[in-house]
Amino acid sequence: MNYKPNKFYEESFGTLFFSKLYKLNFLIIISLILLGLVGVASLYSAAGGNWDPWATNHLIRLIFGIFLMFILAFLPHKIFFKLSVLSFFIGVLSLILVKFVGTGNVQRWITLGGMNFQPSEAMKIALILILARYFDHVSRIELDKLKSYILPLFLIFLPGILVISQPDLGTGLTIILLGLAILFFVGISMKFVILCFIILASSVPFIWKQLYDYQKDRILVFLNPELDSLGSGYQIIQSKIAIGSGGIFGKGYLLGSQSRLNYLPEKHTDFIFTLISEELGFLGSIFIILIFCILIISIMKISFRVKSLFSKIVAFGIGFLFFLYLSLNVGMVCGLLPVVGAPLPLISYGGTSLLTVLIGVGIVLSINIHDKEIV
Amino acid sequence: MKSISQRNLDKTISKRFFLLSIFKGGVVGAIGWRFFDLQMIENRRYEKLSDNNQFNYHMIAPERGRILDRKMRLLAGNMDGFSLVLNWNKNINVELIIKNILSVINIDQKDLNNFYKEINSNNNDFAKEILITKNLSQKDVSKLAVRSIEFPEVSFLMTKKRFYPQGIIAGHITGYIGPYSEKNTKTKIKPNTSWLEVGKSGLEKFFDKELRGKFGRKRNEVTSKGHIVASQIYENTISGNDIQVSLDMGLQAFAVERFEKGNNALVSIKNENIKKQIEKTKNINFINNDYVYKDKKNRIVNPESGSLIVMDIENGELICCLSSPGYDPNIFSNDLDVNVWNNLKNNSRAPLLNRSMSGVYPPGSTIKMAVALAALENGIIDYNTKFFCDGAKKLGESTFHCWAKDGHGKLNLIEAIEQSCDVYFYELGLKVGIDKIALMMKRLGLGQYYNVEIKNMSKGVVPNIEWKLKRDGLQWSMGETLNASIGQGYLLTTPLQLTTMIARIANGKFSVTPTLMVNKNKNRFKDLNINPQHIDFIKKSMERVVKGNNGTAKKYQIGSKKVEMAGKTGTVQVVRISEAEREKGLIKNEDRPWKRRDHALFVGYAPASKPKYAITVVVEHGGSGSSTAAPIARDIFKYIFKV
Repeated sequence: MNYKPNKFYEESFGTLFFSKLYKLNFLIIISLILLGLVGVASLYSAAGGNWDPWATNHLIRLIFGIFLMFILAFLPHKIFFKLSVLSFFIGVLSLILVKFVGTGNVQRWITLGGMNFQPSEAMKIALILILARYFDHVSRIELDKLKSYILPLFLIFLPGILVISQPDLGTGLTIILLGLAILFFVGISMKFVILCFIILASSVPFIWKQLYDYQKDRILVFLNPELDSLGSGYQIIQSKIAIGSGGIFGKGYLLGSQSRLNYLPEKHTDFIFTLISEELGFLGSIFIILIFCILIISIMKISFRVKSLFSKIVAFGIGFLFFLYLSLNVGMVCGLLPVVGAPLPLISYGGTSLLTVLIGVGIVLSINIHDKEIV
Repeated sequence: MKSISQRNLDKTISKRFFLLSIFKGGVVGAIGWRFFDLQMIENRRYEKLSDNNQFNYHMIAPERGRILDRKMRLLAGNMDGFSLVLNWNKNINVELIIKNILSVINIDQKDLNNFYKEINSNNNDFAKEILITKNLSQKDVSKLAVRSIEFPEVSFLMTKKRFYPQGIIAGHITGYIGPYSEKNTKTKIKPNTSWLEVGKSGLEKFFDKELRGKFGRKRNEVTSKGHIVASQIYENTISGNDIQVSLDMGLQAFAVERFEKGNNALVSIKNENIKKQIEKTKNINFINNDYVYKDKKNRIVNPESGSLIVMDIENGELICCLSSPGYDPNIFSNDLDVNVWNNLKNNSRAPLLNRSMSGVYPPGSTIKMAVALAALENGIIDYNTKFFCDGAKKLGESTFHCWAKDGHGKLNLIEAIEQSCDVYFYELGLKVGIDKIALMMKRLGLGQYYNVEIKNMSKGVVPNIEWKLKRDGLQWSMGETLNASIGQGYLLTTPLQLTTMIARIANGKFSVTPTLMVNKNKNRFKDLNINPQHIDFIKKSMERVVKGNNGTAKKYQIGSKKVEMAGKTGTVQVVRISEAEREKGLIKNEDRPWKRRDHALFVGYAPASKPKYAITVVVEHGGSGSSTAAPIARDIFKYIFKV
C-alpha cells in the first residue's frame, strides 16, 4: 500500500471512515467471502441439493459474521490490546464453566441465548491476544531468558489442557500448537525449542496413558486404517475413496456418490472438504487450498509489515490459526493426520469456528488500518 | 505498545517468520501432493472402490432356450418360479429377518443351509443380493407380499425353472442342469448370482452356450445402509436359442414302455398277492407306483435294462435313442436331494449311464455280417463257399463251440448267417485274419467316436494284431480271431456303433454317421466303398434271418405285406462256460441269476425291400437275442410303420 496519510482527510469523521475503508485489505475480504460461499454451496450439496438444514443457516451466520468483522475492522486496534486480558479470563472461565453446564455428550458447548457456543474456539483468539500483549511488554534482553516464557507457557497450557480434558483433542492441540508457534515466532531460544522436543518425545508414553480409549483408537487406526475398516477406520477409508474417486475434474456438483449415498460420515462438518474433492476433483480441491493460501499469505504480509510487536504477533497468530485449521482438517480428511475433529473454517457447518475466524480477520483488518496510530 | 524497531527484534523475528513460512509451505505442499497422489495417480483404484460402494451389479439370467423334438414337441422348457432374495448389507440382522420370515412361510431347511453358507462365505462388505430360496409357491409369495412392509430387506424375483415334460423318457438325451461351479464349466463368466444354472450332461451340456443366451446385468445404487436408491437394467439379456433334435418323442415313449417290458407281463401293484410278493423281493426299482413286471415264472422283476436306437439310414438322424433304466432330469431342477442322488449314483443298474453311447457290449453274432463282408471283399470266399459245422471247431488244444450243440451240417454263407452258425464264422475268421476283419469293422463304423451332440461317448474296441501288441505286448493268437469272428473276446461296441454299422449296410452306398440334430447331415456322406453286390447279398441273408425257415428271428416277423424287417440276432455270453458245465448241460438263461444271463441283441432294418430305418436293441442279461431283442425290434417297427 502506497497510501500516505494526508492530514486533510483526518479532519472529520466522514473522511476518517473513507480513509479506513480505503485501507481495508480487499484481497482478504474477497477470499473470505468466496470461501464462505463455497461453504454454502457445499452444504447445499451435502443436504442432497437442499437449502435445509445447513446451507441457509450457514449463509445467515456468514452474513452476520462478516458484518461483525467489518465492525471490528473499523475499531481502533488498541481496544483489542486493552480487552486481551479480560477476554482471556472470560475464555478460561467459560472453559471451566463448560465442565459443569456444558451440553452435548462431550461437554463442548455452552448454550447462550439459544445459540450453542463453543468456548474452546473463541479461546484461540483470546490466547493470541494475551500472548501478544505479554510479549509487547517484555524487553529484548528478557526475551533471551527462559523465565520470561514461564507465564506464556502457563497461559498456553491452561486452556489447552482444559480443552483436551473436555475431551477435545483436536481443538486442544490446536490451541497448544498455536501458542507454541507464537513463542517460536517471538524468538524463544532454539536450544530451548530442541530441548522441548526431546522432553515431548520422551513423554509420549506418558501422554499415551492419559489418552481416552477412543483417542488411542483414532491414532492407531490412523496409522493403519484397515485395522478397523468398519469402525473408526471406516471414516478415513471412505473419505479417501471419495477423494480418490473424484479424479481431476470430480464427479460434478451434487453428483458425489460417496456423499449422496451416505458413505461419508460428518460430511457437513469435519469432512466437508472430502465432499468438495469428490465433486469438484483435484482442480477444485487445489483451488480452495489456494484461496486459503492467499488468505494466509495476505494476513502474513500484514504481520510482516506492521510496526508494533503486538500487531505483528496478533496478525501472525491469526494467520497461523488459519494455517492450523487448514492443515489439520485437510490433512485429516486425506489421511495424512489422524482423525481429530477439526473443522474447516468458513466451509464446515458450525457457528463458532466461523465466528472465530471472522473475529480474527476483523482484528487483523483493524490492525492493518490502525497500526500507524500510537497505542 | 512499543515499536519493534526500538527493540531491535527485527532480525530475529524475520528469521523466525521465514522459518515458519517454509514450514507452512512444506505442510501445504505435502497436502497438495497427497491430493495429487489420491486424485490423479491412484484415481483408478479409488474410482473402482467408489463404484463398488455405489453400485452392486447383478447378473440377470436369460431365459434358457428350449429343446424340441423333430415334431416340435417340448423336451425341455422353462416354468415360472419365484425366488426370495435378501438384500444383504453388513448392517442388517440376518438371524432376525429369517426368523420373521419363517413365522410367515416355511423355507426348506436345505435352502436355509445354503443361504447361511453363502452369508458366511461372504468375504467383502459390499451390499449384495443373496438368494434365500427359489422354491417359493404362489401362496408364499402372496403371504409375504401382504406383509412386505415388515420385510424391507427381502425382495422377490421372478425366475425360470427348468422342466422336462417328458420326464424319464429322454433324460439321457436332454441331460440336466445344475448350479454353476467353476470347475465343471469351460465358460469364463463369473456371475455373482447364486442361482445360475448350467448344463451338466446331455444336450443341455453340449449346447449350453447356445441354450444359455447372453447374461444381462442389473445395477442397483445402494446407500451405505444398504438401501437401494435406484435400480436399472445395465445390460439386456438375450434369450437362448431353441434346439431341435431329431428324436420322435412318440416313438421314444412307446419304445421305453415296450423295452422295459421285455418279455414280461405288467401287473397292478394293488393286487394283494403282488403286494406280498413285492415285500419278499429285494432290489426292485419301481417304474411308477402302479405297476410292476412279472416274468414267465411269476417272479417280480425289474424293467429290462439296455439300449434301443432307431436311426434314419439316409441322413443318420436318431429318431429314438433310449437307455434303460432312465432318470428324471426334473429332479435336478429342484435342489437335488442327497438321498435321491445317492440312489441314482449307487444303483447297481447305473441309471445315469447313457448306454446308447457310453455302454459297451460284445456285439456277439450281430458282427457276423462284418466278418462275412470282410471275407467277400477280400475275395476269400464266394457266395457258395461251404463249411461243415459239427457243433464245434478244434483249434490246437481248445475247442470252440457252435451255439447249436449238434452242429448245422454243411452250409453256405447265406445259411450260416440265417442260422447264425458259429463254426462257419470260425472258419471264415481263420481264413480272413483279424486285421482284415478289423478293417471292415472300422469301415462299418465300429471302434470310433462320432460327431454326435452328446459327450462322454465310448470308443469301444476293435482289436487287431497291433492293438494287442501295444496293449499287452503279446502276440495275437488264432483263438482270439475265432472269438472276434463271433463278436466275443476283446471286441466291444456301443449300441450306437452297431446301429451305424447296420445303417451303413442297409444304406449300402454311404458311410452314414449318426446325429441328434434335424437336417444337419445335408451334405453327402463319404462313400462306403463296398461292392454293392456283396452288400445286397448280405442284406438278403439278413432278410433270411427273419423270413427264412431256419431264421433265428423267424418267429418275429412283422407279417405285413408292405413292410418286413431284416436283421441279425446276437446272444452274448457274459460268463465263460467251462467244459464241465457244458458236459452237465447248460442251465437255462432264466434259471441263472440275472447278472449271469446272456445279453440279448438284435440289429436290423426295415422295410427290408427299401430300407429306411436301422435299429439296435440291446437287452442286458435279457436271455437270447432271438427271443428277447427281436420281438422288441419288431414291435418298434410295427409302431413306426403303423402295421
